[in-house]
Amino acid sequence: MTFSSYDFVKVERHGPVGWLINNRPDQLNAMNNGMRDEFERAWKELDADTDVRVIVHTGEGRAFQTGVDVAEIASDGVGMERYRESMENFDLRFTSWHNRVWKPVITAVNGLCAGGAFHWVADADIVLAASDAQFFDPHVSVGQVVSIEAIGLMRKMPVEAVMRMALVGRHERMSAQRAYELGMVSQVVDPPERLRDEAQALAEKIAQNSPAAMAATKRALWGALELGLTDACKQGAAELVSMWGHPDQTEGPLAFTEKRAANWAEMTGTGHEDDAADTDTDT
Amino acid sequence: MTYETLVVERRGAVGWLIFDRPASANAMDATMLGELAEAWRELDADPEVRVIVNTGNGRAFQTGVDVVQMSRDRGAMREQSRRTRDATLELTAWHNRVWKPVICAVNGVCAGGGLHFVTDADIVIAASDATFLDPHVSVGQVSAYEVVGLAAKMPVEAVLRMALVGRHERITAQRAYELGMISQIVDPPDTLRDEAQALAEKIAQNSPAAMAATKRALWGALELGLTDACKQGAAELVSMWGHPDQTEGPLAFTDRRTPDWTPITGAGPASSGEGRP
Repeated sequence: MTFSSYDFVKVERHGPVGWLINNRPDQLNAMNNGMRDEFERAWKELDADTDVRVIVHTGEGRAFQTGVDVAEIASDGVGMERYRESMENFDLRFTSWHNRVWKPVITAVNGLCAGGAFHWVADADIVLAASDAQFFDPHVSVGQVVSIEAIGLMRKMPVEAVMRMALVGRHERMSAQRAYELGMVSQVVDPPERLRDEAQALAEKIAQNSPAAMAATKRALWGALELGLTDACKQGAAELVSMWGHPDQTEGPLAFTEKRAANWAEMTGTGHEDDAADTDTDT
Repeated sequence: MTYETLVVERRGAVGWLIFDRPASANAMDATMLGELAEAWRELDADPEVRVIVNTGNGRAFQTGVDVVQMSRDRGAMREQSRRTRDATLELTAWHNRVWKPVICAVNGVCAGGGLHFVTDADIVIAASDATFLDPHVSVGQVSAYEVVGLAAKMPVEAVLRMALVGRHERITAQRAYELGMISQIVDPPDTLRDEAQALAEKIAQNSPAAMAATKRALWGALELGLTDACKQGAAELVSMWGHPDQTEGPLAFTDRRTPDWTPITGAGPASSGEGRP
């Protein structure tokens, strides 16, 4: 399967790994209107491709991403108003979580990660960072509120660190090392040039696992962030039971015994529509 | 206004709320419990104050309710007992719905009810010799509010261990930093206030209105599931669109000057002030 063409991102496949690469390096990968629309298309295309088992998201140049393109906001006469409807309805489409991608998603932070860039840190399953990556959230320093991306982060790491980043704004940066200590990222890659190799290697490990089991696991774990503990366990139990009888549950132990790679059932991102309802996102 | 058990002062844009019963390790007696609400409200209402720092005089930061007074004069604590039962406490910035940024600067031991101020601050820094413990269960008391709040903000195992081991163990500043309970260790300890003031002055450069809406969104998120929290956060975000700070911020950045933000007072948009039950 070949991918359609894009102006502001690159979409590639290397073996079982789909790559989504922010590609406005001269603008530090800031998201303009066109890029925002391409994100939705790219996630859906990667999700629908059965050859793609795992998705890695990174950026070209010295920044991973730096939020919304403020130059466009300031100059086009529409400004933030362009986002009003999608924000008021909370109907965003630029991350994998927004688009209900149930394949594993790795964000590989290759440099500056500022402001709105945290959407893709918060909404990824796994986050890697180059050793020279830097994190900060300048929203309040330019009179903007930070909410969605910080709220997502707060569910996944110590809250005080998120609050500090949100309130100190552009006057302080967090290192990759501190992000690692706090559990915001799980791996620091040094030297930084090795980031894509390490991300590919990790993705290939993950690609050896059962796609169906990973999708149900993702639904259980992300769904848990919506609920109190007991309700989350009940919903998790339903995801767990949903796999019983699935061919992968026979194939997995068999392949293990026969010391061969498992031949997993094919799965596309469209599966399990009824289960995906537990994300409760507006449609 | 003057206080008997607290020091409330201003240094530039930074308001300071300082526990001042050093001879009692800053334990909260009935007087302090009453004065805390007054002090938070005074600092919140003052538009000159952009950021608030909370610390203690003497060797301790804060050691919870004054058990000496509690044992001698049960009547003095009656009001507090009622507030505890009804979940209408007014000790902390969060209790009093302060939407200005609050930095907790832990200058020494922080025990039991002292943890309220760590839990309910936005940012927590500590002197390198600060320690944390929760002795409630060692004296037959239940620990609830403080540790429930902490459990929503940091790794839960560490909170349960502190709550259950009681007075027999302390968390060091170093471990608190590793766990993300605090974001900065200050060494030597006697530079804690300088570091807190410096951090507060950085924060004071940001838009007060944007920070207040951000605080409401983030604290409110602790009440809800992820998607509902995002929806509420989106409403806070959109509420700032059209605010003068949103033009002033980028303009000042382009002109390489300090932004002239619209001042706010603690009154804030009342309809949005529902971050706590």
